[in-house]
Amino acid sequence: MRYFIELVLSGLAVGAIYGLVAMSFSVIYKATGIVNFAQGEMGMLTAYTTWSLATTMGTSGLTTVLISIVVGALLGLVCERLVMRPMLGEPVLSVVLVTIGLAVVLRSIVTIIWGASPNKFEMAGADDIVQLGGIGMRVSQISVVVVLLVAIAGFWFFLRHSRFGVAMRAVASDEKTARLMGVSTARVQAVAWASATALAGLAGALFAVIYGLAPTVYELGLKAFPATVLGGFDSVLGSGVSGIMIGVLENLVGGYLPSALKEIAGFILILVVLMVRPFGLFGEKRIERV
Amino acid sequence: MRSAFFKERYSELIVLTDSPSVKAWTLVLVVLLAAAPTFLSAFLLAHLTVILFTLVGVLGLMVLTGFTGLISLGHMGFLLLGGYAYAISVTRLGLPPELALLMSAVVPAMFGLLVGVPSLRLHGLYLAITTLAFSHIVSAAILAGGKFTGAGKGIMVMRPTMLGVDLSSDQAFYWFCLVMCILAVLVTLNLRRSYIGRALVAIRDNDIAARTMGINLVRYKLLAFLVSAALTGVAGAMMGMYLSIVSVEGFPFLLSIEALAIIIVGGIGSVLGAVFGTIFIVTLPEMFGWLIAAMGGRLQDLMTSSAHEIKSVLYGLAIIGFLRFDPRGLRGIWHDVRHAWVHWPLRY
Repeated sequence: MRYFIELVLSGLAVGAIYGLVAMSFSVIYKATGIVNFAQGEMGMLTAYTTWSLATTMGTSGLTTVLISIVVGALLGLVCERLVMRPMLGEPVLSVVLVTIGLAVVLRSIVTIIWGASPNKFEMAGADDIVQLGGIGMRVSQISVVVVLLVAIAGFWFFLRHSRFGVAMRAVASDEKTARLMGVSTARVQAVAWASATALAGLAGALFAVIYGLAPTVYELGLKAFPATVLGGFDSVLGSGVSGIMIGVLENLVGGYLPSALKEIAGFILILVVLMVRPFGLFGEKRIERV
Repeated sequence: MRSAFFKERYSELIVLTDSPSVKAWTLVLVVLLAAAPTFLSAFLLAHLTVILFTLVGVLGLMVLTGFTGLISLGHMGFLLLGGYAYAISVTRLGLPPELALLMSAVVPAMFGLLVGVPSLRLHGLYLAITTLAFSHIVSAAILAGGKFTGAGKGIMVMRPTMLGVDLSSDQAFYWFCLVMCILAVLVTLNLRRSYIGRALVAIRDNDIAARTMGINLVRYKLLAFLVSAALTGVAGAMMGMYLSIVSVEGFPFLLSIEALAIIIVGGIGSVLGAVFGTIFIVTLPEMFGWLIAAMGGRLQDLMTSSAHEIKSVLYGLAIIGFLRFDPRGLRGIWHDVRHAWVHWPLRY
């Protein structure tokens, strides 16, 4: 039983990171209808930049988190303006492939600048152990879960009550009508990219704090895919929750079943779920007219 | 007296080409390619061999994504299955290489049917993610396969003797690849012009409309997966023979992306585009290598220290650039050039 609870708790921490990345996928999907395959790479680049800034300036934990959000948002804005904006109105497959090209470029840039060897992301107080019902958890692991909960609540408020959130939902539900009502698609796309990359950057930085900083952090994007699909691409909050489910499932499978299954547990789960619900657990059903 | 050229029979309408000059140039190209080992250096011959077997795999993806419009991010899975089906048939089951090559088409085709089933319910990116999941599951299964699949070590593959011809020399293997590649091109071209091909394109353009026109979605979507997986599997077997080993590391996930990039850069939905795209993407890293070497100096130092990264940066930039500035791809450029050549000095 104790082993089970340990697995669930550490699964929660991993799952919260998946959840953050999965949310960033669905924010972009919701606003622009494309999947950004460079999300993991953007998280990695943000994590590395934050690490460089934090070690040179010697910042405290909370400031580092803020830096990662700002760096992520800036990176998102730059990528959107330079690469994605000119692709507005192109077919989905082309735009998706552009993000794949972007992913290849960003990944290589990280290796060119920072090298291939792994680093330790030091953050004051992150490795302290807290006892939770007799089970030790690191502060960083707990804070990840808290960050995810804050992000879910924040996005719920943003999409429901803020001007941009409402504009984003309008663009998602009908782009043409939204434009006729005076919503600027380009600006909505920019905000979506900035907030999504801030989320992914936050996830990347926190992942680096817990598991170390290496040029393989981008695989986070690949691992978060099942969470996004499980929740439904167009459900931001659902993706966050599904991240937790995938993380816990993965840890349980890794703990009780052969380790080879751990890597693909999420993928097998989504295959099963998609057969029953082709639009994910929380996604909206698509109605087609000819 | 005939006042114009009329197409009088159905077969004349769907014939591959009715132009004598296209036929003549194709013949010249085939003869040149067949004679290539006599005048090309070993390095260029190897490069051409890579282009040939890559093209077979790309044509496989073209049938699925280019013709039918089903985006697949998991073609690496079929490539892996084809390579392993060949290697296991030869080394573990002791089948003759001809039969093993057939297996490398049949086994992925069966799995293609399996992956095709979700495509009846899933759309667009959801299907893409499902194929992605499939390819990850395949590589995990192979890694967990123990002695039978060689797990992480892979399986060594000798160059076989096919139909009495020894393929161990580079020239013989080149000819083998050339023959397979020409067959693959003919298969896809003929598929495209027949009823099946037009049914697939109809599904791509609007599947519900296609269905109301009497096209059986289940049959044709599954057929697209079947043909696509079989072609890709054969390419996997050829790649295994070329590398002399099949292993999970030898078939990275990047290959799925590369194949997609090729059909986009070449021009989606066209076999000619696939040929151009393959030549361009496979040659690109080498070209940059030569260019940097020619410039020399500090750039070359950077090139030696992080050659792989710089190549992938340029490769990514090429993908972005093409999609940004000419979405029609290389086929569109070829189209423009040909028109300018024919109509010069008039504009059209």
